Amino acid sequence: MSKIEEIASAVERGKAKLVPGLVEEALDEGADPVEILNKGMIDAMSVVGEKFKNNEIFVPEMLVAARAMKKGVEVLKPNLGGSSDVSIGKAVIGTVQGDLHDIGKNLVCLMIESAGFEVQDLGVDVPAEKFVEAAADPAVKIVGVSALLTTTMPAMKATVEALNAAPNRADFKVMVGGAPITQAFADEIGADAYTPDAATAASVAKAFVVG
Amino acid sequence: MDRIPFRKEELEIVGQTINMGRGSFPLLNTPITPRENFLMLLRGEDPLWIPFTRDVISVTPAIVKDNIARGFVYDATPFDANTEGGGPDMFGVEWEWVPQVRGSMVRPGNPKVPDVEEWEKYIEFPDPDSWDWAASAEKNRALIEQKDLVFGATILNGLFERLISFCEMSEALVAMIDEDEQEAVHRLFDKLADFYPKIIRKYKEYYHIEILTFHDDWGSQRAPFFSLDTVREMLVPYLKRIVDATHELGVIFELHSCGKNEMLVPAMIEAGVDMWNGQPMNDKKMLVDKYGSQMIFGAAPEGINNDSSVEEVRESCRKFVEKFKDYRIYCGAASDAMFAPKVKESLYEFSRIAKCGTAE
Repeated sequence: MSKIEEIASAVERGKAKLVPGLVEEALDEGADPVEILNKGMIDAMSVVGEKFKNNEIFVPEMLVAARAMKKGVEVLKPNLGGSSDVSIGKAVIGTVQGDLHDIGKNLVCLMIESAGFEVQDLGVDVPAEKFVEAAADPAVKIVGVSALLTTTMPAMKATVEALNAAPNRADFKVMVGGAPITQAFADEIGADAYTPDAATAASVAKAFVVG
Repeated sequence: MDRIPFRKEELEIVGQTINMGRGSFPLLNTPITPRENFLMLLRGEDPLWIPFTRDVISVTPAIVKDNIARGFVYDATPFDANTEGGGPDMFGVEWEWVPQVRGSMVRPGNPKVPDVEEWEKYIEFPDPDSWDWAASAEKNRALIEQKDLVFGATILNGLFERLISFCEMSEALVAMIDEDEQEAVHRLFDKLADFYPKIIRKYKEYYHIEILTFHDDWGSQRAPFFSLDTVREMLVPYLKRIVDATHELGVIFELHSCGKNEMLVPAMIEAGVDMWNGQPMNDKKMLVDKYGSQMIFGAAPEGINNDSSVEEVRESCRKFVEKFKDYRIYCGAASDAMFAPKVKESLYEFSRIAKCGTAE
């Protein structure tokens, strides 16, 4: 097994204590930092996402895998020559106004970050204007809007409408999700994508940006 | 018990259940009380009709501060969750009442326990012996003494839910599988497994409960939060101690666990759980076929909503009874629409005829 394969295996198994050391060893052996990131971590997280979608693993395993990757990225980052080389784009993600639920939003943040994005977590109970303000950053490629309640679906509609009216709307994609959200609702309110889980959200976001 | 055939007169309303904040419900002219019928199911006998969830009256009295914090006080005390819900629970965790959800949440971002491994630094266990149970029971005398319905109490925050309330969801989930944090979680659950029976014994002593409902949500709408192995390792040993302590009192243990948790049912059985309603996304037919001899499940007619006509309700109930009449089940509620009198009447009529025939 190559060092990069060892890193991938440790990320998949959520071994946060092992990954930084393995990354250091790989760097010492002269491995390409970008390859360590892409093959050792981002690809490993794609495997984790697939297993999660298929109920082979569950939320805790996904969380510890993301945490392990994060530890590895901390070691890797100084060797990547600046954040622009690390990130495939910026994503801003939040739960709509009136809704305090954060687990789904947090999972999407983790998985999108693990897919190579720089993530700005806007938190919960976020007003529409705060989403628009964050989306004004030219680096933003994805805006993720979460709602867990049928009663906060109108706030999601208002948020997406506000984002759709933003002058730089062509620069980012709007993705929505949450327990009561459906593809039909996403279409109705003018979102670019609905995804049913965090792993799918990450792969769709990546497809929007890198094709 | 004689299999008394159904008569049309049984659909006459002869009274109302006690109103404890959720409204009252009609009592039909049944040959035995709903309580007696439900107890037949619990004893493993074939009831005269499929019992209905509202044949159980379950209190969450104000004496347990969790119930105020969660906005779920159901007892003889008038309680308006919109003005009184929220605040500290019995461990001092602050909850925020959210009117849109009709429930409370701990606002994310400021957990009472910032480091699970050191929870003992931040958590002091309450002492139920110091609460005035006698006064609480006295207020609820009419509820306790009624004999129409099975009487029970509910504990709102179970083992995993308690962990979430202490340290937030993501951290709680990680702590369930992280080798470094699991030991601390074991210590917490061990102490909770000693603590909850103290409350259950008070409910038995002062409220004379027949059923204890224990809330512990284990899943989302698409899957469990954690694997069966994790539940077996982290929850079953402690849940079993709580179940065993409940059974020692002669009280039935119902688990309330939201989520698509059907794959965790073997763990529920290993813990000794008697009943699980489960949300509608769980495959109830599969569950009763596979595990129906080991546990009682709740199931509900499909497709009933507030706009359903009487004909639609009757058809849905007819199909439900046809599907489940030979199983040990009760009719759980999938939504508020299930509480309409027309639903209860239809379920009663169809299941009475299916189980005992008709004298008409």
